[in-house]
Amino acid sequence: MKRTKVITGVAATAVMAATMSPGTAMAAGTPLVGKTHGVTLNFMIASSGPAETNADKAAAVAWGKQTGNKVNVINASNLQLQLTEAFAGGSPPDIFYAETPMFENMVKQGQLLLAGNAVYPAKDFYPSLVKEYTYNGQFYAVPKDSSTLAIEINVADWKAAGLTNADLPTTWAKLSADAKALTKNGVTGLVVSPTLDRIGAFFKEAGGGYMNAAGTKFTFNSPQNLTAMKYVQGLAKQGYLKFSSQVGAGWGGEAFGTGKAAMTIEGNWIIGAMQTDYPKIQYQVVPMPVGPGGHHGTLVFTNAWGIAAGSKHTAAAVSFAKYLASPAQQLRFANAFGVMPSRPAVAQEWAAEHVKQVVASGNQYPNVSAFVQGDAYAMPQVATIGFPTVQANFDNAIVGLSNGTSNPAQMLSQLQTYANALLHP
Amino acid sequence: MALVPSDGPGGASLAAGQHVAAPATLPPHAALAGGAEGPGTGRLAHMARRGGPRATGTLRKGEGLFGWLFISPALVILVLFVVLPIFLALYVSFTNWSGLTPPLSSSVKLVGLANYRTLLTQPGIYQSNFAESIRNVFYYVLFTVPLQTVGALGLAVLVNNKFLKARAFFRGAFYLPSVTSSIAVTVIFMYLFQGAGVVNSILHVFGWQQTPNWVYDQRGLFTLILSALGINNPGWGNHLVMGLPAWQWLAGPSLGMCVMIIMVSWTTAGTFMLFFLAALQQINEDLDEATEIDGATSWQKFRRVTVPLLRPTLVLVVTLGFISTWQVFDQSYLLGPANPTSITPAYFAYQVSFQDSAFGMGAAVAFLLFALIVVLTLLQRKFVKEDLTK
Repeated sequence: MKRTKVITGVAATAVMAATMSPGTAMAAGTPLVGKTHGVTLNFMIASSGPAETNADKAAAVAWGKQTGNKVNVINASNLQLQLTEAFAGGSPPDIFYAETPMFENMVKQGQLLLAGNAVYPAKDFYPSLVKEYTYNGQFYAVPKDSSTLAIEINVADWKAAGLTNADLPTTWAKLSADAKALTKNGVTGLVVSPTLDRIGAFFKEAGGGYMNAAGTKFTFNSPQNLTAMKYVQGLAKQGYLKFSSQVGAGWGGEAFGTGKAAMTIEGNWIIGAMQTDYPKIQYQVVPMPVGPGGHHGTLVFTNAWGIAAGSKHTAAAVSFAKYLASPAQQLRFANAFGVMPSRPAVAQEWAAEHVKQVVASGNQYPNVSAFVQGDAYAMPQVATIGFPTVQANFDNAIVGLSNGTSNPAQMLSQLQTYANALLHP
Repeated sequence: MALVPSDGPGGASLAAGQHVAAPATLPPHAALAGGAEGPGTGRLAHMARRGGPRATGTLRKGEGLFGWLFISPALVILVLFVVLPIFLALYVSFTNWSGLTPPLSSSVKLVGLANYRTLLTQPGIYQSNFAESIRNVFYYVLFTVPLQTVGALGLAVLVNNKFLKARAFFRGAFYLPSVTSSIAVTVIFMYLFQGAGVVNSILHVFGWQQTPNWVYDQRGLFTLILSALGINNPGWGNHLVMGLPAWQWLAGPSLGMCVMIIMVSWTTAGTFMLFFLAALQQINEDLDEATEIDGATSWQKFRRVTVPLLRPTLVLVVTLGFISTWQVFDQSYLLGPANPTSITPAYFAYQVSFQDSAFGMGAAVAFLLFALIVVLTLLQRKFVKEDLTK
């Protein structure tokens, strides 16, 4: 029965864990252990699709051949659940995708090897990514990739509205004008997913943000953020901006691909989705606009390779992580499934290569360098434990901005209160 | 089912021909024995009767020991995988276990009643989210249990009708949703009720243009009806009860939750139809005929004879309905992320545990839900008596 399922679900994990060996978590900075050849590593991933799974498997085989080791690639259907079970049971995978919502918890519980600098120095990666995987000044996990937000524009709609390159949405005012001009015949100028993970970019553009520079305090209820919320609400109230759920789409990319939106705000994952689902739509990618104070702003989403502190093969795992994060391998990953490399130099190379391919196929669009550009000033996600619930609460109120049932100032102050409670329970 | 082949076209017409005569001329026993009105009907009822008497014997000395011995494998499994985990979960609900270490390790701290306090009395997001999940599931139960029970009874009466052609087909068709994966059914309903989905397209044909975006719609049914009547939130509606405004407590199921109610009623009505069908087939034909001779209309017959005889089954169905609806999870797992008004306590416990790594609080939610189910089931047992004499 389902009641017992819930209770025992939580508890079965517990019993399993309790009966197994006690936690062998090591203190951070422990010297690496185990041999570097003849070892079998467990590598747990959460793949975005067959392309990523195959790329990871190919990398595992290549490194194994090079070093005389073996890697089991485990593709988790629910990474958070499977990692939690593995850690609680005392047998974590040696190396795994260390997603943002779990990262801080793993560090706090002493389950993550302090591997950042052991693999590559922090200066090799984008600073925003290093910041995301740094806790208490220590760089723990190796940034795997990055994805930033940019504006995608439907070229046909743009031309039909008589807009030119001079009208590109480089500022808030121009974005408003474009959204207005593009809203007609059942098409909405701008459609975005109703989440902080999209409209948070406007916070940064207004000169605000999620946290203070030191990352010690939340700053959600700042006047700059309120300016951003009011800007978004203004567009929504006039009908030039709609949220994806309002046009019957699951996310911005779907609204854009099905022609319900002339513009959307999505990350570089949209490239793959457009290729497979909506290959006929010609679109351009431009950077997010600058806000009233001349601030640039976008959001960055990332993932990292983490190594279990309790692994018996940390030496081999570090060697594998080195291979995965090497420039050549990063370029292979980026070409295979469209994520951006976490190293600035490789990211530039990938964008140039992508543009070359597009031109070679006889097209002018899309130019993906806008995504790479964003990495320089992007704001990372909040990594505080428990923030997903707080954010969900905020996200649920976003659609209400259109008809005025949600009040921007109230939303921000509630977000601030709830987020603060996470820091000071 | 055994009755499928005998309901072929030839057999059906023959049976139908005899039906006309059967009630008036043949004694009921003859009808049963002859199997004229569908052999399956008689056989099912017969089988049910045979299983009826309970095999209770008295224990002789020494047999007790063997009794325990024989049940010990099952008992060991039960204790190891159900009883122990429940106690461990109870322990976890008093800790701050993060899920990343073994729950009995030294890094797990006892926090007393802190998890329960956060959920019940301490203002904050967990209190209001928990209150909202309770509100959601309350309206869900309130609507689903009557709908699925009445639906099941209706279907059972329909497919029990001797004059219905292709009975086996309809029985199969109505039962099919309950053997379909709840996840698959939910996904299909999400498509049907999309903003531009089939349901809205049909509503557009009937001239309703301002169709809601069902699955995502957080507006409560009662609030919508009240505001259509011109009644809006009076001042006192903003008063917080357990972190949720009073007006929200009274909002009724949201439109998103209504989709879930319709869906679950549709799937489970078929399951419970089977319960009612078995019970209906146990009702003696004599009674039906006697009431007919006494001049009762078919509604009177249903209301005064059939329903009272079905009472034990009715109580069983309602009790099972209550227990399963309070702990609904699957549907909420899919609909919850899109709409917080379809989050139920069972899913909330999962979310808190795995998303926020607060397993202690997740376990606390599970135990509060458990307590709620126990209390409400006891109340329901008290008010809905199983015996036939009112």
